[in-house]
Amino acid sequence: MDRRAFVRLLAATPLSSAFVVPKASSRNIPNYKLVSPYKVAAAPGIPGPYPGKVISVKSANCLDASGDHINAEIVAQMMTRGMTELTGDKDVRDSWRRFIAPGDVVGIKVNVGGYPWVISSPEVVNECIRNLMAIGLKPNQIYIYERFQSQMDEANYQRLVPEGIQIHAAEGRNERADNRRYDPAVYAEASFFGEEDTRSNMMRLISQRLTKIINIPNMKDHGATGVTGCLKNIAYGGFSNVARTHQHGVTHTYSFVPTLVTMEPLRSKVVLNIMDGLRGCWHGGPFARTKKYVFYPKQLWFGTDPVAQDKLLIDVIDAERKRHNAISIWDRNEKTLDFINGRNRDKDPNVNIIIREPAHVDYAAKLGLGIADLKQIRLKEFEI
Amino acid sequence: MKFLAFLLPLIFWSGGIETAPALKQAGIERIAVASDKADAWRKAGFEVVPMAEAELTARTKLLPPGAAGRPGLAAATGRPWVDANGWQFTRNPTGKFYYDLPKGRAVLAVAESSAYNGDAVLKIDPADVAEVGKMLAFLKTIPASPNLPLIADIGVIDDGSKLVGEVMNLLSRRNLLFKPVKTPSSQLKLNIQLGTKSYPKAAAADPSEFAQTVRRQLTDEARMIRIYGSEVVVARLTGDDKRIRLHLLNYGRREFDGVRIRLQGVFGKSEALVSGHGKTTLEDFAVIGQTTEFSIARMSTYAVIDLPRAK
Repeated sequence: MDRRAFVRLLAATPLSSAFVVPKASSRNIPNYKLVSPYKVAAAPGIPGPYPGKVISVKSANCLDASGDHINAEIVAQMMTRGMTELTGDKDVRDSWRRFIAPGDVVGIKVNVGGYPWVISSPEVVNECIRNLMAIGLKPNQIYIYERFQSQMDEANYQRLVPEGIQIHAAEGRNERADNRRYDPAVYAEASFFGEEDTRSNMMRLISQRLTKIINIPNMKDHGATGVTGCLKNIAYGGFSNVARTHQHGVTHTYSFVPTLVTMEPLRSKVVLNIMDGLRGCWHGGPFARTKKYVFYPKQLWFGTDPVAQDKLLIDVIDAERKRHNAISIWDRNEKTLDFINGRNRDKDPNVNIIIREPAHVDYAAKLGLGIADLKQIRLKEFEI
Repeated sequence: MKFLAFLLPLIFWSGGIETAPALKQAGIERIAVASDKADAWRKAGFEVVPMAEAELTARTKLLPPGAAGRPGLAAATGRPWVDANGWQFTRNPTGKFYYDLPKGRAVLAVAESSAYNGDAVLKIDPADVAEVGKMLAFLKTIPASPNLPLIADIGVIDDGSKLVGEVMNLLSRRNLLFKPVKTPSSQLKLNIQLGTKSYPKAAAADPSEFAQTVRRQLTDEARMIRIYGSEVVVARLTGDDKRIRLHLLNYGRREFDGVRIRLQGVFGKSEALVSGHGKTTLEDFAVIGQTTEFSIARMSTYAVIDLPRAK
């Protein structure tokens, strides 16, 4: 996209419309101004070479009986099976070479908001790193990144990964005080609720340093998007000033999450999505401070199409909610809303802090980011 | 190079003469004290302005400047409540003001009154002496500039009412640059006169929403200044056809790392003077069409940026 190109997606949002929960059929989509000097790659990473294809590898033995401990050896087997089934190669190194070259600088986008129970598992991250090094990357070519250093400190990936792996965060804490690690030349601008700062800037690490990104989200519920899957992880996990899209029970994640994913060079650089479903969380997301809402899918998903994975994820989370007699993530009843006290949401799975917008996944498909039609999604399931 | 010493805010000091060493150590050399104590303070080596407490409080009282969050919202906007007095100085440039400042609020007040070139006396908490001294020392490093005219997008026809004052307050806090005018000015992009069909007084009953309406009418694209990366940094802008001077005041409690500024107009690259950091390079400086953008690496309490207009 040309610098300062102006994208008008649909009609403008009146600033004063913030306090009414919109019906799904009448959402307003703000005017987005997308600014980036970067051009789309000849073959952008999203949706990549395998649109609509999702490989699921399950193992009953990937966790111990308590669910607290992950078996790294089993995870390694799951990763090998998943990657080779995705690409059709016999040697897993050939599978990785389809996405990554020895000269690449690779960012592993983790999700650590669900610490301690539902984060991108260090065992999965470490297995990624092992495979990257097996095809010739040096540790200093590999970054593990998130937005907030305070969250990365909790997750403490350093304890498992090889020395020399770069740990990177854009901000110290979630306080909106650190902006220098965001790229001032790459941003999406929109006014959602009349906020003064209308820009969300891409992390400089993404725009200026990395050449490829591997996305490792979790199987999580999310209070705004419905699920914290692939799209949300790379969008809100790579740009500044995104919390402004939620206010008083209303969220603009429906359009903003997919819009951010369309931005270059992010879209071109994300080449692989590995959904970490060893553990999941069916309510209270993106956080998982207690095990109250944790469940155990014991699986990993592999693919290049983030939309297809997220479409399947919606059903996984909603099925688990149904199993616990909780309201659906599609529920738009304003009576479920309590945006004043977030603790009530944490106590009761039938309380929402925001009317969720899981249809952002369908909107992403409209923007060409992947396949959301379940009839076209090819899920292949394996068990080891 | 000339400096701004003659504009330094005046500290009202009620402490005894035994506190003189603390003031001197902080570099505070000019104070207002009660008339009966003036000689003693002069003998101690201070430049003294005699001022009775009643004389102080006869001035217009200003709020302790600062910002507070809005706790209790599960999905907060992140927009804190800002107490700022710039609109008072702008509305009444020849006014006489005073601050009665609790502990921890004096440094920003010193910067604020200086940025608006206001005639202000500050009654400060003794615990803030050292930090106030540092800010005063910083103000002395700011090069003198001629009395550059205020730059504004909006003219506000001032009827002297409290309601118009509240509108000015909100415009100022939202960086919607305004100046008080007697009649609508064709030099300005927008003119606001409360009580007219376009701006009925009832519309200003909610000043925050009123400011948003004005913002929509002006449009963000047309605004002389935008600030990104903070909701609590407030700008004052002066200038002529050769240069501009931009004052930035941070009403938050911590430094911001990388505040981005967009100005209408094409300017040459320069440096920022930032309290606590001194001369600072303007980062990621870029001229984009008819706008200029740059970042302040470390935005502490106060920054001053002089920029030449490009020919």
